[in-house]
Amino acid sequence: MLELRSVTKRFGDVDAVREVSLSVPDGAFLVLLGPSGCGKTTLLRMLAGLEMPSAGQIVFDGQVVSDGDRAWAVDPARRNSGLVFQSYALWPHMTVRGNVEWPLKVAGMARPEREARVAEVLRMLGIDGLARRFPNEISGGQQQRVAIARTIAPRPGVLLFDEPLSNLDAKLRVEMRTELMRLHRATGATTVYVTHDQIEAMTMASHVAVMRAGRVEQFGTPLDLVERPETAFVATFVGTPPGNLVPVRRNGTGWVVGGRHMPLEPPADGAQALFRAETLRLEGAEGPRTLPLELAEVSTIAGRVMVTAIAPDLRLTAVTEALPAARVGETVHIGLPETPAAWFAPTGERIG
Amino acid sequence: MTQAVLDDPPLRHAAGRRRWLAPGTGLKLVVLGLLALLIVMPLLSTVLFTLTEESRGAWGDVLAGRLSRALFWQPLLNTLVIGVVVSVACVLLGGFLAWLVVMTDIPFRRTIGVMATLPFMIPSFASALAWGSLFRNGRLGGRVGWLEGMGFSVPDWLAWGMVPTLVVLSLHYFSLAFTIIAAALATVSSDLVEAAQIAGARGRRILMGIVLPVVTPALVAAGSLCFAGAVSNFATPALLGLPVRMQTLATRLYGMISVGQTARGYVIGILLVLISAAVLWAANRAVSGRRSYATITGKGGRAKRFALGRARLPLLLVAALILACATVVPVIVLFASSLAPSSAALFSNWTVHYWIGESNPAIAQGIPGIVHNPDILRAITVTLTLGVAVAGAGMALGLLAAYATARSRAGWLSATITQVSFLPLLVPGIAFGAAYIAWAGAPIGPFPALYGTFLLLVIAGTAYLVPFSVQTGRAVIQQVSGELDESARLTGAGLARRLWAITVPLAVRGLAAGGILIFVKIIRDLSLVVLLFTPTMPVMSVLAYRYASEGFTQFANAITCVILVLSVAATLLAERLQARSQPWLKS
Ligand SMILES: Nc1ncnc2c1ncn2[C@@H]1O[C@H](COP(=O)(O)OP(=O)(O)O)[C@@H](O)[C@H]1O
Ligand SMILES: [Mg+2]
Repeated sequence: MLELRSVTKRFGDVDAVREVSLSVPDGAFLVLLGPSGCGKTTLLRMLAGLEMPSAGQIVFDGQVVSDGDRAWAVDPARRNSGLVFQSYALWPHMTVRGNVEWPLKVAGMARPEREARVAEVLRMLGIDGLARRFPNEISGGQQQRVAIARTIAPRPGVLLFDEPLSNLDAKLRVEMRTELMRLHRATGATTVYVTHDQIEAMTMASHVAVMRAGRVEQFGTPLDLVERPETAFVATFVGTPPGNLVPVRRNGTGWVVGGRHMPLEPPADGAQALFRAETLRLEGAEGPRTLPLELAEVSTIAGRVMVTAIAPDLRLTAVTEALPAARVGETVHIGLPETPAAWFAPTGERIG
Repeated sequence: MTQAVLDDPPLRHAAGRRRWLAPGTGLKLVVLGLLALLIVMPLLSTVLFTLTEESRGAWGDVLAGRLSRALFWQPLLNTLVIGVVVSVACVLLGGFLAWLVVMTDIPFRRTIGVMATLPFMIPSFASALAWGSLFRNGRLGGRVGWLEGMGFSVPDWLAWGMVPTLVVLSLHYFSLAFTIIAAALATVSSDLVEAAQIAGARGRRILMGIVLPVVTPALVAAGSLCFAGAVSNFATPALLGLPVRMQTLATRLYGMISVGQTARGYVIGILLVLISAAVLWAANRAVSGRRSYATITGKGGRAKRFALGRARLPLLLVAALILACATVVPVIVLFASSLAPSSAALFSNWTVHYWIGESNPAIAQGIPGIVHNPDILRAITVTLTLGVAVAGAGMALGLLAAYATARSRAGWLSATITQVSFLPLLVPGIAFGAAYIAWAGAPIGPFPALYGTFLLLVIAGTAYLVPFSVQTGRAVIQQVSGELDESARLTGAGLARRLWAITVPLAVRGLAAGGILIFVKIIRDLSLVVLLFTPTMPVMSVLAYRYASEGFTQFANAITCVILVLSVAATLLAERLQARSQPWLKS
């Protein structure tokens, strides 16, 4: 079990991580998901033991490994964890083999055992042909594999990844995603994986913590996040395409969305309605629940069509069966369903 | 779900936990302790010594006593004249050459650029000795220089005192100004100038409105550094001024200490430190308010150069003349005079006696040539060993200090380490030497006095070059990004092992280059070691100075030639290792 108890990290007067509490069982694949600068790397570095929490505890298997309140921590090397850096941090003066072997050497593993393990990991990641090359002689994707091989070779119980795929091109990213999941099944190590890409989170995670400005906005399974977003931020951050958030305001006669009166019953003034893309329709003509918007983007995805239309302060994405008749720049009518999937208060929390 | 974990039963703490003050605090304390011992303690003991009951009177003697005019005020005046004139001359000379090399289409730009950095590799006493061999006149008896030997009559003001000192120092320090100003000019990309041209500005307007504002901080920095260098230079005024009783604060300090008036010497040293530090501080204040423009301009190609037109050849001649006087002429003169029995006839009757001759009572009072002279041979051994030891110790310390402060620059510990490590920059070498006498001249607790030992030379040299070695260490550490080290830390490797297996191999070229430059700085240094010198621990530069002041110029010049060759060879090797980029030389 991996547990965080009110973990907080301050750099001077910047609160990089605030009061994060969560726990995942052994073998879980926890993804920390959030936009850049929300404190993901900082949290991961605290897990690795490279940073001391300013407050709170980190617990691996019932044993405290970092205690910010008492300002002590177990040495990074003794936490049974391994970290893959975003930059890979391969030692440029060592060969691929050297990079993978050195940590084992430091750990005092005997030579025959060490060589067997190095060969095994290199094979596992499909880089056994590159053993004698230096890091600057192999491609980015191969460097990535070396970094992973180096980290898993000592068989850590907790594997930490910092945006491992962000430096790869799109195709390679998809391949590596599968590879990493295979590796996770093969090693059984509890994995903490940092990313800003919600697709990675949704496809790989057993648990996701959505972070924003140092806080965990929501913690749950990928399905939880999509079906029951707890905050407006989560609702617009996850899902493909993410949900549409529409502010609903009261004027003299009723409720207004994007300049038109709508037969809606929001729980509060200024509330925001969540409409999923698949529930929006493309209407041929104006109706009681339609909004006239300017067509901005059209793209086909797996036989369906993703349509984005905009108004000065509104942006809606719908997934429909057929291509719109209108062209980009022309007006389309987007039909809203009778009830939204959820309501959020102006401050972001869910109210219905 | 997020709240549930808080109500769990009490926690067990993992075994093998370790208390951390903060990452690396212990290491920082060690470094700070070392720096305090090496730098702060000597300076502090100097000040404390002048405040003791017996010595307190020295302040009054120096500043207001009957002798104060000769002790302090006249030397102060001379020192200030030297500082001001030399720094202005250096900025003009260095700025002129930098402008030619970086901004214009002068022919032989690359050669001029390399030549302009050479004078700083030549010890300043080399040029002073060369000056003597050329211009010395009969006023003090003894041998005359080459010009008098050729039948010219050299007036006193040209042979001795202020004028030659100013010329020699300017020709030495201008290369420092050149380096700084050229680097700043190189950041004025041609885009910047072209943008001004498109806006309708012309020649003078571009110079005053665009180029000067960008390089002003560099001009101020160059001027202040040349000032600090000139006021603390010992060799040149000692060789050219002392014979006619022209004193500067540096020579006064030396004189006081060599006649045993230690307290007065220390007081003069402290005042010298204050003057040089005040100028550097003021210059830094004056430019630190400005932003550094260098980063904004980015890398602009320098496609177009200012066309000199018909001025090309005359300007080339001027540049060649300056560079010849600063490098070629002194080297030729030194070499020739190490072969010529009489400096009045530099280029005739050459003999290699001063290099390889056995002792001969008829020549130079029987002093044998360099290769048979036990004093000189011992000095060479001591100097080379000293250079290697200081290079090793300096790079070790610099690396340690840079490493300790690299990851967390914040915090008062890091800030203090940085400030203390740059302290020696404010202290003229001769004053630093004096401080080491104050500190290590007497037994410290259970330890015996270090004065006269090799160890003292090593410690003082290491301490004096801490600013340089820490800076080099920083550059080296920066090549080794924090994550490379952190990923090694995660494996459980200890500090020593990480340094050995990761940091050092990655940094070895930079370290070697830094070490060689320290070696060069030490073997050609005179002002730091001149006070720490003892006959049992001779070093080459001091021996050369002694020979020169006793009139055996051939030996002095021969030793200086050896230093010169070693310095230039080592510097070139270091530059090769570093493959240092010189942006202003790229076409
Ligand atoms: N060593 C540090 N010193 C000061 N501030 C830091 C440091 N590391 C991170 N921060 C700050 O903490 C916040 C979170 O950073 P980080 O964890 O790197 O974000 P992410 O990885 O999610 O992009 C940022 O505002 C960043 O500026
Ligand atoms: Mg990050």
